Amino acid sequence: MHASFEEKSVWVQLVCLLVALGGYLVIAGRMMAAGVSELPAYAPLFVAAVVLLVVMLGVGHALALIGSRPEGRDERDRRIDWRAEHGSSWVLAAGVFASITAMVLGVPNVWVAHTLLVSMMLSEVLGLVLKIRFYRLGV
Amino acid sequence: MARPRYVVENSIRAIRFASSEMTQQELADKVGVSRQTINAIEGGKYSPSLEVAFEIARAFNKPLDSVFRSVPVRS
Repeated sequence: MHASFEEKSVWVQLVCLLVALGGYLVIAGRMMAAGVSELPAYAPLFVAAVVLLVVMLGVGHALALIGSRPEGRDERDRRIDWRAEHGSSWVLAAGVFASITAMVLGVPNVWVAHTLLVSMMLSEVLGLVLKIRFYRLGV
Repeated sequence: MARPRYVVENSIRAIRFASSEMTQQELADKVGVSRQTINAIEGGKYSPSLEVAFEIARAFNKPLDSVFRSVPVRS
């Protein structure tokens, strides 16, 4: 793959996000299905997921450095960032709107918090997928 | 009546080879962008800003319209 460091970085972020936060959401989903409704009960799991995410990002970027020297971001990278953000930010907006609606309806905090988290993750995943699409197929 | 649409095409690859077979990396270094960006411009996957377009033309010592041209899209 003759990809720039910037593009490899996007792949690293996507994989790390799916593994770390995806793993968190699977386990948290089981906890919620089992009736765990206290938000602090999820904190250790969330902290572990964030630590895993940071470690994976560090290792992933170190591996991405092998075979491709960072050339610095140029105008194409910035346009790809802008287009991807433009195409993905609506997911977060929808999540925020859904969370506010849930709060108004008296839905338990644990569901509201995870609705926000899921929308943040999906927005980020969509943004990263769009970036890969723009890097591969053009912007 | 619909307005005609145009795309920007370029002759960078041909001019590179005519310029002592300049590599994409050499052109990228002269212009100040990544090699992948030059590759994307050559392949028609990215239309550069006016600043970068002028820098590319300047790197070849040619006028802008001999490197880039706007052609109508065939419907």
